[in-house]
Amino acid sequence: MPKHISRLLLLLAGFFAAALAAKWYFTADTFYQYGHYRGKSVAEIAAQEPVYQTPSYCEACHGERHAQWSANNHKSVSCEICHGAAQGHPEKGKLPIPADTRKLCTLCHERMPGRPRTQPQIELAQHSSGQQCIVCHNPHAPKLAGVVARVAGDAAAGATTHAARCATCHGKDGISPNDTWPNLAGQHAAYLMGILAAYKSGAQTDVMMSPIAQTLSDAEIQNLATYYGSLRCEAAPRKSRLGDAAAGKSLAQNCAACHGDAGISSNPAWPSIAGQAPDYLVNALKAFRAGLRKDPMMAGVTRGLSDTDIANLAAYYAAQKCRPPAAQGKGTP
Amino acid sequence: MTNPSDPSGKARRAFLGRLGGAAAACTGALVGAGSLGTVQGAPQGKEHPAAAGSLPMKDYDWTKHRWAFGVDATKCIGCLRCVEACKRENDVPGTAHHFRTWVERYVYLEGEERARIDSHQDPVNIAASGSEREYRFANRYQDAKVEKAFFVPKLCNQCTHPACVQVCPVGATYQTEDGVVLIDHNYCIGCRYCVQACPYGARLFNEDRGVSDKCTWCYHRITKGQQPACVEVCPVGARVFGDLKDRQSPISLFIRNNRVQVLKPETGNAPNVYYVGIDKEVS
Repeated sequence: MPKHISRLLLLLAGFFAAALAAKWYFTADTFYQYGHYRGKSVAEIAAQEPVYQTPSYCEACHGERHAQWSANNHKSVSCEICHGAAQGHPEKGKLPIPADTRKLCTLCHERMPGRPRTQPQIELAQHSSGQQCIVCHNPHAPKLAGVVARVAGDAAAGATTHAARCATCHGKDGISPNDTWPNLAGQHAAYLMGILAAYKSGAQTDVMMSPIAQTLSDAEIQNLATYYGSLRCEAAPRKSRLGDAAAGKSLAQNCAACHGDAGISSNPAWPSIAGQAPDYLVNALKAFRAGLRKDPMMAGVTRGLSDTDIANLAAYYAAQKCRPPAAQGKGTP
Repeated sequence: MTNPSDPSGKARRAFLGRLGGAAAACTGALVGAGSLGTVQGAPQGKEHPAAAGSLPMKDYDWTKHRWAFGVDATKCIGCLRCVEACKRENDVPGTAHHFRTWVERYVYLEGEERARIDSHQDPVNIAASGSEREYRFANRYQDAKVEKAFFVPKLCNQCTHPACVQVCPVGATYQTEDGVVLIDHNYCIGCRYCVQACPYGARLFNEDRGVSDKCTWCYHRITKGQQPACVEVCPVGARVFGDLKDRQSPISLFIRNNRVQVLKPETGNAPNVYYVGIDKEVS
């Protein structure tokens, strides 16, 4: 073989060996283990820790909330949508409770072209007059309509029960002679049904009311609610010595969505509070604030109220006429 | 084609034969050189890993699953919680223009032939959310005369014949046995061929790390028996995920009970995200 050919071959062999050595050196160990890629990378990617846990993770500690949430309409909305990913919780601190619910809830519930008709949607401008959603809606049990009870009792039978059992405290005509107890005349029958049933079942407790309600039959509760709902409220507006009605009026804007602008509620599920005795209103609000009277909505809205705020609110509602000028058909829904 | 001086083509056949012999000899030499230990680990076809009995993960057998994804566009409300969950779960860079999954809004206005399409990274929608790290659709069509509108969630289709894998020059992206296309971030050289090759625009480039990035159907979650984060948080069940090898899995039922379609079937990628409730404008 001519010399120049053998040299060339030697050179080529050298290149070939160098290429093989480089390939051997630079190729990762597990490359080609499963295919044309580094086999170890599969396990590396799979080893990443999940950031989002699942509602069952939350249930371990927040069982009560979880039970309420999973029994209601928001059960398809997982905890971490609103409270953020739970990785590192509780070791690394609390998860946020969303502050701006008007921003959060409208992500799903603002009326928008393209959303399916089955999705509950609101016109933001016409809904709740700028209030936070949680004023009326409990995010873990958001639906309100379900709480309106149907009332179909006998008003005459209710009047008899009233005279025998209730008139001493709540007054002959449902207008209480004492500042401690509420007027019942003209109150929404659905609300009265609900609260009496709660006293009877023990869901709500009161030193006076619980023993009385426990002796009432379901029919008697129906009759009483119908009777009070059919009465006209003749209570005169009251002046409070404790609070300032004008200051209470501005605070009362936060209550208007449920209890009406002047304390006459338009939704039969919630009580009208106009014209009630200021002492009664103060006691009721303080009981909600302290958690003695149980209501998730009222607990939320009273949490931030000072004693002065409560006195002012009570003064405002006590000063309102409990029968609006244009007498409306209150009572059964 | 045939050589006019040799109509039978015998000469060429002989030449090719000799060439083949030479090639065989070279291959022999190569195998001889295989004492260097370079090519002996090469796979003998796809069944190799299972045959060898080796699995990449201890607690998870990737030969027993074939994952697929379903999207019911008739249910989507455009809340973009999936986008947020994905970004958080997978630590996707913070700007609105980096995302592994997204939701498109299609709006047909009266008198217009084509849909207006926007997504969370549209400037109007960024302005509505107030931040590039929060996601919401601006209610920009509330006063317009809308003829038809709907939302379409999108993500990687984990194609059966993925174009992105084919173009990768270094073997940094690949398809797993259970049908998910992954990226080996330690091997990726950041050339972005794959970003261009994807017919669905599903890949993104992570400038912080200098590598391509993509949806993995949360491979770290599904191999632990969980759902992908976007499926986990979807409040209306518009996203469906499951195992095609399980006849009763949510995705098997979804495909069986609905008239499903895939995006751009003509590209031959054989995508694995099945859609319900979209129209021809969506691709």
